[in-house]
Amino acid sequence: MNGLWRRRLWRALLSVGALAVLYGIASEIGSALLPRRIWMVAHYLEDVELLPPYRSLLEETVFLIQSGILPRSVLVSTARVFEGLALGAAVGVPLGLSMARAARLECLLDPWVTFFRFTPALALLPLYALWFGLGELSKILLIATAVAVVTLLGAYQGVRDVPRVYLEAAKSLGASKGLILRKIVWPAALPQIFSSLRIALGLAWVTVVVAELIKATMPSLGYLLALAGAYPRVPTIAVGIVTIGLLVLACDAVALGCYAVATRWMKRSPAHA
Amino acid sequence: MRPAEAARPPKARRVWLGLASVVALVAAYTLLSNAYRVVDPSLLPDPIRGVLRPQILPPTQRIFDAFVQLVGAGASPVGGAYVHTGDHIGGLVEQRVTLQGSLLISTYRVLIGIAVGGSLGVLAGLLMGWSRAVDEYAHPIYILFRSIPPLALITYVMLWLGHGTAHVLLPIIYAVFTVVVIPTYHGVRDVADIYVKAARALGAGGRLLLSRVVLPAAGPFVLSGLRYALIIAWMTTVGVEMLMADEGIGYLLIGGGMWSSRLEVAGDPAVIVVGIVALALVGYAMDAGVRVAGARLTEWVKR
Repeated sequence: MNGLWRRRLWRALLSVGALAVLYGIASEIGSALLPRRIWMVAHYLEDVELLPPYRSLLEETVFLIQSGILPRSVLVSTARVFEGLALGAAVGVPLGLSMARAARLECLLDPWVTFFRFTPALALLPLYALWFGLGELSKILLIATAVAVVTLLGAYQGVRDVPRVYLEAAKSLGASKGLILRKIVWPAALPQIFSSLRIALGLAWVTVVVAELIKATMPSLGYLLALAGAYPRVPTIAVGIVTIGLLVLACDAVALGCYAVATRWMKRSPAHA
Repeated sequence: MRPAEAARPPKARRVWLGLASVVALVAAYTLLSNAYRVVDPSLLPDPIRGVLRPQILPPTQRIFDAFVQLVGAGASPVGGAYVHTGDHIGGLVEQRVTLQGSLLISTYRVLIGIAVGGSLGVLAGLLMGWSRAVDEYAHPIYILFRSIPPLALITYVMLWLGHGTAHVLLPIIYAVFTVVVIPTYHGVRDVADIYVKAARALGAGGRLLLSRVVLPAAGPFVLSGLRYALIIAWMTTVGVEMLMADEGIGYLLIGGGMWSSRLEVAGDPAVIVVGIVALALVGYAMDAGVRVAGARLTEWVKR
């Protein structure tokens, strides 16, 4: 087992390292050969580094960190993602749970859930901008909507997939409704809820990049990307993309950790083995 | 196998209740959105007066009008030269942007994304699930790339590809690719394993093993990945079109303008609602299509 993991790690490092070296070589060749003037729609863009070499990336990173732009953007965008996640999950999870438990409610809400499921959340952006203004509220609500739909479906499916035997066994042993909910439905649905939260977190990051372009103000990753794209300053774009990528990666790792904790009980249960 | 489910009400009742809920909400909305005609707005307290305006809650008949106008925009006598009216629907009609035309363009983009990104994703998932060496080398790189939201790439991609078809399509292809890889990978790696062992024991190998055992076994997983990919493809398409493209349903929602400032222009809620409802319907129809086709293709699972 240990040797297997060591080999995995070794190969992972090797391939990521090879990619990094390849980029280094390509960027060195590219900065000599690639055009620095690019025709774009109606005018030339001057001084474009299509493949910025490592030193200009490093310079840009140092500048963005020292000026406080990057740290503040990261904080603002991350805060938005998690506010939206919290709000969306706070609506989606209880709704999904109750829909799965109450048949009539399910029938009533079903068409609307289907509607929102197939409406790309980003399409709501112009409507939210109109309704909730161009400020913070519409950005967070947009993320929350995307999250709510995903977590609602996750919670619903989680409860639906609870084996009926569990429920009937508990009922015949005299467990109350509240006890069944707390001791059977909730823990059994938790893995699905967590895995839907993980998907929702990724979706929230996709949404925030676009949401931050409504009435964009500086400290935010979405606007940093857009602004750098308008100039265009490729090193800034690259640092922005890598930063978002690393944040998504970190969020995903945390979500995966939570999922592992939430599903620990499954290892003990033969029904899910 | 799905575990036994709790009792559900009969299908007729489900449909009936769902229909009732839609009709009730639409009726309630119609009343609310027409309230400004009946009640003198100046008598209302401030927050309610702010909400009950046709610019915020378009009356149902205005939404329907917008729908009719957008469907017929192609036959508009104005057409041709762009006269800036500053009006969302007026601008769209002048540019002869129709609802069905926009939907067609966006659907085409989604389908290209699914076709190209889907095949690449299935191929990558297949290779990673089939060969442990490929998995161990390629998976970390895949995870790095997956972490980048496709829409974050558009400004950079535009520098390479220019402002045109390819640069709109690439983020969509990329998004579909990243979504399809994992289900395929798991389908091939985890599920096919027992079948593979059995087939190997019976003497099958190489191409036969791949075409008759591995691919069919991974099929249901690929299909469920594809269904999620459709949702992501629509999301990305709308996003790219809102930000950059000059046509498509995302463009219809925004109504034009220079990019980056175009999201700040207040739109016409009636047009936006028409666009959203159309998106939901098309998304639902495409999902139903995949579901039906998938049920046919993976019929053997039941056996």
